[in-house]
Amino acid sequence: MDQDQRRRHWDVILDSLNEGVFTVTPDWRITAFNRAAERITGISRQEAIGKACCDVFHASICEKACALRRTFQTGQPVFNATAQIINNQGQRVPIRISTAILRDDRGRVIGGVESFQDLSQVEQLQKALELRYTFEDIVGRSNAMMQLFRMLPQVADSGSTVLIEGPSGTGKELFARAIHNLSPRRRRRFVAVNCAALPDTLLESELFGHKAGAFTDARRDKTGRFEWADGGTIFLDEIGDISPAMQVRLLRVLQDHVVEPLGMLRSKSVDIRVVAATNKDLATLVRTGHFREDLYYRIRVIHMVLPSLKDRREDIPLLIDHLIGKFNRLQGKDIAGVSGDVAACLMTYDFPGNVRELENIIEQAFVLCRGGIIEMHHLPPELGAKGGRSPSPSGSLNLQAMEKYFIAESLRICKGNRKKAARELGIDAATLYRKIKSHAIEVPEADGRGRRR
Amino acid sequence: MRAAFAIWNDRIAPQFDAARQVCIVETRTGAIVHEHLEAFRSGLPVNKVRRLVELAVDTLVCGAISRPVQALLMAQGIRVVPFVAGTLPDVIQAWLQDGLACQRFAMPGTAKEKTTDMNRR
Repeated sequence: MDQDQRRRHWDVILDSLNEGVFTVTPDWRITAFNRAAERITGISRQEAIGKACCDVFHASICEKACALRRTFQTGQPVFNATAQIINNQGQRVPIRISTAILRDDRGRVIGGVESFQDLSQVEQLQKALELRYTFEDIVGRSNAMMQLFRMLPQVADSGSTVLIEGPSGTGKELFARAIHNLSPRRRRRFVAVNCAALPDTLLESELFGHKAGAFTDARRDKTGRFEWADGGTIFLDEIGDISPAMQVRLLRVLQDHVVEPLGMLRSKSVDIRVVAATNKDLATLVRTGHFREDLYYRIRVIHMVLPSLKDRREDIPLLIDHLIGKFNRLQGKDIAGVSGDVAACLMTYDFPGNVRELENIIEQAFVLCRGGIIEMHHLPPELGAKGGRSPSPSGSLNLQAMEKYFIAESLRICKGNRKKAARELGIDAATLYRKIKSHAIEVPEADGRGRRR
Repeated sequence: MRAAFAIWNDRIAPQFDAARQVCIVETRTGAIVHEHLEAFRSGLPVNKVRRLVELAVDTLVCGAISRPVQALLMAQGIRVVPFVAGTLPDVIQAWLQDGLACQRFAMPGTAKEKTTDMNRR
């Protein structure tokens, strides 16, 4: 077998692997890059060959703990080191790495080889199991979301009590977790309690704990959630639904940072950060006398209001993209995207259940769709019944194409009126003008204005 | 105007989320008036964002950056020029001459038009 043939066989073997593999020279230039490496990094072989591996791989360990450098230094292979790379789309990809040295016939070092496995699916499954969602799961680029992101680092660092208001399904718990995960308390517990899910007596025992014998059936001591969250964050969801008696007890915790387990004579001090959330308008509840004013002001030190999905429609394509990626990883599928009709339908739907409803719609479509792209017949019937739209592009749409299509559609429906179209899309007019220009969209002339780009 | 260049070994650091140092460059009428290195005390990306805000940075030039961290920076009003590769002096020079869009400074697999558009979003 000649050298060329051997080389071709070698390439076929590398490309058949499900693990990414690349080789480098001793001065870190990439000499081989297999198909799985292309898929995981998003970078083609042609672009990668000859480049410095850190500029292609951009892993979290490149600077401080490069596995290949360790292998070159020690002469020993590395097995199963973990790291995160950022692919060319800005997505974080968790990986597991192994390395080895390449030598010539005389045993001289001629380079190194690194193989890596994509752990995104494992991480997604762990997230789903442990409900370990983070800031990365909050998707949005709309003005409303950017205003919230602007506050987030300062809010997280402050340690102050936060009240998050917003309709159901807008991601209040995600924000609460993001605040915790970005805060100095992130290494301690995040404890979530749904205040509306339990009757008052049970809620009291859950939150404050009890001593054995405090009441009938209290056979053992029980640690309350406040104590459990000591040093960390407690998330009190549906705070607007707690009883007046419970409001008084909560006020004491917030004022004095102490809890009194049922049946215990002494108070225990706790160091907790409280993040509360409600889908009700707490100020109105205060005005109508259903919620204590003093507690309201204790909770509302920092106030965040999450927008409905219909008030940030421009985020819908991004959310669809994010959810398709998520369910592909969770269900081991390879759905490419949604059809133009589906995208148009989702873009105009009002989503009373907000992001949670969109997630449920995509999840149902994943069950019904075996592969390829999500079509109208994969959506719930009430969505399919909507009609009256013009034919949309065939085939699956990527994020950019989806955005272009929606903007063009809105302009058509609004007869070229840009301000109206911007309102419909939930974006400001300046953003719409910029997007019309960047997508080179033809604006219809029907409103009497000049045909412009 | 004040720009931060995420660096490692006198090159643009491969990943901003894991970068440990930035070079702060202050310019007036197109010329550098001050330049210094700033080490991040915390490895947490959100703390790096906070630090750049404290340093009144207008622009961050960096290598790969995750979308959420880029969104956090953009929300703070910091312009992000991501997926840049090259040696620090070359990149600073190109930035001063508004030449970072040149393919020479693009990380492999990242067309400049795409990253600029992502920045606008």
